[in-house]
Amino acid sequence: MQWLEAMWTKEGKGIDKDAPKRTGLALFFQIFAREWWELVKLNLLFILVSLPLVTVPAATFATASICRAMVEDRNVYLLRDFLEAMHQYALRATAWGMVTGSVLALGLYAIATYGTAAHESLIYAAPLTVSLVATVFVGLWATYFLAVSVTAQRPLLQALKLSALATLWRPLPLLGALAFVASLWLAHILFYPVSVFMPATLNFSLGLFAVMFGAQRAATLVLSRPAEASGEKEPF
Amino acid sequence: MASISLKKLNKTFGALTVVHDIDLEIADKEFIILVGPSGCGKSTTLRMIAGLEEISGGELLIGTDLMNDVPSKDRDIAMVFQNYALYPHMTVYKNMAFGLELRRAPRDIIDAKVQEAAKILDITHLLNRKPKALSGGQRQRVALGRAMVRNPEVFLLDEPLSNLDAKLRGTMRAEITKLHKRLDATFIYVTHDQVEAMTMADRIVVMKDGHIQQVDTPQNLYDRPVNMFVAGFIGAPQMNLLPATIRRSGHGFTAQFDGRVLPLPHTFDVARIAPYDGREVMLGIRPENFHELAPGDIDPQNTAPFAAVVELAEPMGSEIHLNLLAGGRQMVARVSPRFKSKIGDAVTLTADMTNAQLFDPETERSILY
Repeated sequence: MQWLEAMWTKEGKGIDKDAPKRTGLALFFQIFAREWWELVKLNLLFILVSLPLVTVPAATFATASICRAMVEDRNVYLLRDFLEAMHQYALRATAWGMVTGSVLALGLYAIATYGTAAHESLIYAAPLTVSLVATVFVGLWATYFLAVSVTAQRPLLQALKLSALATLWRPLPLLGALAFVASLWLAHILFYPVSVFMPATLNFSLGLFAVMFGAQRAATLVLSRPAEASGEKEPF
Repeated sequence: MASISLKKLNKTFGALTVVHDIDLEIADKEFIILVGPSGCGKSTTLRMIAGLEEISGGELLIGTDLMNDVPSKDRDIAMVFQNYALYPHMTVYKNMAFGLELRRAPRDIIDAKVQEAAKILDITHLLNRKPKALSGGQRQRVALGRAMVRNPEVFLLDEPLSNLDAKLRGTMRAEITKLHKRLDATFIYVTHDQVEAMTMADRIVVMKDGHIQQVDTPQNLYDRPVNMFVAGFIGAPQMNLLPATIRRSGHGFTAQFDGRVLPLPHTFDVARIAPYDGREVMLGIRPENFHELAPGDIDPQNTAPFAAVVELAEPMGSEIHLNLLAGGRQMVARVSPRFKSKIGDAVTLTADMTNAQLFDPETERSILY
């Protein structure tokens, strides 16, 4: 058993305080390598808590909140912090889930309808384009709203405004993160049955981790604007 | 108030007694170091204070409270172990917070204490890392931090630097000393490294075979060892102990070693030396009290030429350790790096007797103190 003990107790290389901080994908994979086991546990927790279905939005916010802490290299008490975040964001998350779900469903319906119609008459290409852009914008806006909400406590309208601003300001990193999420599910489908455990182990938590990683900079930027940082409220 | 009293404290394992009725008074906020060779009972004594070993006899008091049967967790002490004893599956933050969580401390207080300790120890950047990634020095800081967040009255440190390399040990020595001043708590520190003991302690307890040999300040231990063991243990290279015969000379005495006549300073207590006139004693001269030239600031009456043969010269950079043979006895002299000699050379050094020691060869106790 000594090898097992040695594996646990042997000294590491140490962590240089002044080492240049990694950025971009290198940082993403560094955090993933460090937190992968926590992400597996988080994924299981997400699935477990989402079983009643109505809890899916709150579980999403809670998972995003934990992922946010991981991105910021903060300490996480998984179960405790998850349950607290669920409790904290339950109302906002549920409203977010219902509104986002409805609008995205509407957008997808419009895309499908105008897409079919555009085959028959080219005039429908214009509303099809509008539907496409609007749906993508709403998707990004909703995702940024999630990121802004778990990053700092802001009134609903202010959070909506800031997330819209972030969407316009830096859409590409979040689009990249969402593409990564799509690729996770695509990999699950393509490599089935080898990938049968992917959703159970990583897909939800790693997907939300990628989203929070992608949204981090924009969320921080909009929240650190002088008017926002001082907590100044603007009339809506 | 975290003064500690050990009264006739002893520890037995079956028929084997490893700590023999030791008496020790440790003042509040004192930095005291237990030092001695392996198996001398220093760690066992520390573990008895910590409550990790049952006390076989005697009394342990912290402040005015008898602690013999008080569980370890209720003694308001924190211990740092040689192997750090960090939980490998927990992050640094959780390792540090664990003790407070067990005590159900409020979360904001836990966080404030962990952050403060991390800042003091400069490990803020490690808080979300697991021990596996940390070097020995970083692990040691975490172990110290874990003790600090509890804000105990007494810190017990069991050879905390033994696993570190020499350079890091030097750095950590200074950090622990600074930490003691900053935390204003009582520190009891166990080591077998006399350099650690000399550089860090307010007082040193020298132990051997379960007995306390001497308790004193580092300088007093060095200058006034009460017996041959302490004289040999404190100081590196260790004190040269040579058999010499005491002879009266005028109003004073000399020590004669293999034909060399070495004057004993007039400052020595003649009344203590007189009974040994004509008898053999053990003469102790520290390596730095041999000089290649007679130093100008020393009374010439307290010096004498000392001839020896060079067996080995160890250049240390700032000095040379000369291993000498004199009168069939091995001895060591610390001389200037400019001193040129080679193996087999006959050299004559100047012995400065100002700080010489005399020991009774039978009892091994100091004749002078």
